[in-house]
Amino acid sequence: MSRLDDALRDALRREAPPEGFAERVMARIQAPQEAAGGWAKWLNAFRRPQLRWATALAAVALAVGTAEVRSEMQRRAEGERARDQVMLALRITGGKLQMTREMVRRIGYARREQ
Amino acid sequence: MAAAAKVVTPVRADFEGIVREHQSMVFSIAYHFLHDRPAAEELSQDVFLQLYKSMGALESAEHVTRWLRRVTTNRCIDQCRRSKLMPRIGLDQVAEPAIPAGLPDIMLSRALSQLVASLPANWRALVILKYQEEMETEEIARALDMPVGTVKSQLSRALDFLREKASRMLRETV
Repeated sequence: MSRLDDALRDALRREAPPEGFAERVMARIQAPQEAAGGWAKWLNAFRRPQLRWATALAAVALAVGTAEVRSEMQRRAEGERARDQVMLALRITGGKLQMTREMVRRIGYARREQ
Repeated sequence: MAAAAKVVTPVRADFEGIVREHQSMVFSIAYHFLHDRPAAEELSQDVFLQLYKSMGALESAEHVTRWLRRVTTNRCIDQCRRSKLMPRIGLDQVAEPAIPAGLPDIMLSRALSQLVASLPANWRALVILKYQEEMETEEIARALDMPVGTVKSQLSRALDFLREKASRMLRETV
């Protein structure tokens, strides 16, 4: 065993960490758990068996309701499109009738003058 | 079933006991590596936080000790590389700390500690694990995932460097 070996063992002997080291480590471990505590409790409530079924039923009802509302909105949009088309057709027909009546009236005048 | 039983979150009190048992080892590896007490404390705390998350995968007290040595050393090497704590000057240019006559042992110890801190990160890890932790070459090789031959050759070069610097210091003081 050389003197260098002994000197290195002496130079690199273990040192005590600063006072309160373990407490600070435990505080850091505790901190994120406390921060997450509120959300964790809320989420844990949904892990109870009784609430699992209620959560599933609520999810199904929500999905069905959403589909129903979407279908109703689609039907309403199609109805409005059809009504607009009918109105346009009526306007075109009304204009043509007006023109025909005017032509008939002019022909009637011309015959009377002859 | 057995695997499920193995992954157990450690009880706080038990974990605090583990921290108290190993804090000196972890802190000393970091301190001898970084030569900076606040940086060594921060790194050591991070190591214990990582240990807390990994406890489920560790099977025995010996496993915990080996894990702590390996993770602490690797984190020290990474930190040295990141923060450029690697020697900023070449090894040949490292000045030997002066040793006043009459106080050779204490001053030699302090000077050697500084010389170790000036070594490249890999050499530093080997010297600290060998002399602080009194680990055998094979254990160091396993801990750092290095071939035994590489550990032997790098350790030998690191010790040659330290011997040369230290003997020069002693010659100058006698």
